Amino acid sequence: MLEFKNIKKCYGDQQVLCGVSMKMESGIKVIIGINGSGKTTLLKIIAGIISGDNGKVFINSRDVTVLPPEERNLGYVPQHPALFNHLTAWDNIIYASRNGRGFAETGKLMVEMLGLQDVLNKKPLELSGGYRSRVSLARALTSDPEVMLLDEPLSDIDASTKEKLWPEFRRTLKNNGIPSIYVTHDLHEAELIGDTFAAMVKGQIVNVASAAEAFEAIKDSYLNETVLSGIAALNVN
Amino acid sequence: MMSRKNIIDVLFIPLFLLLVIYPLVALLGRLTGGGISETFQDIYFWQSFKNTLIAALAAALLSLLLALGFGYYHLFNRNTIIYKIANTMNDLPIAIPHTVAGLALLLAFGRNAFGFIGPTGLAFTLVAVVMAMFFVSYPLAARTISSGVDQIDPEIVAVARSLGDIPYKAYLRVVIPALSEALFSGFVLSYARSLSEFAAVAMFGGNVPGTTQVLASYVFSKVEEGELGMAITASAVCIAISALLVATLSFMNYRRVKDA
Repeated sequence: MLEFKNIKKCYGDQQVLCGVSMKMESGIKVIIGINGSGKTTLLKIIAGIISGDNGKVFINSRDVTVLPPEERNLGYVPQHPALFNHLTAWDNIIYASRNGRGFAETGKLMVEMLGLQDVLNKKPLELSGGYRSRVSLARALTSDPEVMLLDEPLSDIDASTKEKLWPEFRRTLKNNGIPSIYVTHDLHEAELIGDTFAAMVKGQIVNVASAAEAFEAIKDSYLNETVLSGIAALNVN
Repeated sequence: MMSRKNIIDVLFIPLFLLLVIYPLVALLGRLTGGGISETFQDIYFWQSFKNTLIAALAAALLSLLLALGFGYYHLFNRNTIIYKIANTMNDLPIAIPHTVAGLALLLAFGRNAFGFIGPTGLAFTLVAVVMAMFFVSYPLAARTISSGVDQIDPEIVAVARSLGDIPYKAYLRVVIPALSEALFSGFVLSYARSLSEFAAVAMFGGNVPGTTQVLASYVFSKVEEGELGMAITASAVCIAISALLVATLSFMNYRRVKDA
């Protein structure tokens, strides 16, 4: 179970998160928001990577608000796979076991689920983007986390590989049965991955029934962003 | 058609040639067979050559070790007083005259009990030479490592910590292995800086032929003794070692740019 209450975060004068609260017991919750809406900031506060200005985070009723990331027992999959380039894929996957977390058996299971058998002895720089993302997911899941946080984990991947990986990621997360928050700005990705959905609008989280409804909620911000980036592109050209 | 030269071309090229290249050419152009032969037969030259290589190596390694400590503070403890002091002090040894650095070391670790820790017997030994070289080369290593740390993807550290690493373990296990280029650059720069140090070494380590004399002080002694041929040969050896180090660094930078 993951719960966070009244999380606030400002960067200078700009309030990114305005008292965000949410509670989830199980399944994959997809949070949809445009770039800069505070999705990544929220995940980083939950993971303990940055601290919020206000609010509380609970994992299985344990207050982890002031705990450092290493004591929260969360699986964190960032936008870019952030693999350890000096280690092989396998050593990346079982990295947490150095700290007494997770088991090699879980790692082997992840390898099987994500089809990583042929690349285990390769270093990350020898792997394709798709394999790197798979290793990143396997590494987080092998650490036996209580909650998974995935921050647009497939943003680096080309469209055709994404199509293949989305069901794979969903199946793996569902099989592990760990409550997961999956952040994206892609409607199609949200539909394929999520069980439940929320939209991130103006620093608040709004629970919605479907990915399409979430997209409807962020539409104005999305259009604004698209128009503004279009104008910026025109100005550059 | 003649290309038009701007004021920078007109000033930079002649001044660079006159003030940087010409002195080196003037020195190397005075190399003579007699000077070379006399120098290479001098046992004190070889002793100072050996002292230079060994002391500079020890100083560069010590610099790297401390620079890695600074890198840790730079990454994890940037808001602490100790980091802020260390960061400010890093530039001081570069800014102060190196005779002053040598005198400071002499007073802190010299034979008389000036310093807080009393007489150490370190002055005018090879250890003193290493300490003097370290004092002036550490800031370069610290700056190189901290800029290497800045270039590391912060998500790597975040992920390592989410996998259970406390900060110092994350630093040892994932940051230092990702710093290989900065480590090498830091080592080469510290080594080159140590190699070229004279004032601090002479003040604290002395200039005792066969004991604490290094190539830089050997050159100084030979000029004082009027043995210009030997001074020029030893200088050429210094230039050759430094050029090798600089070329290694340039090659590394070239490869990095090419790979990027």
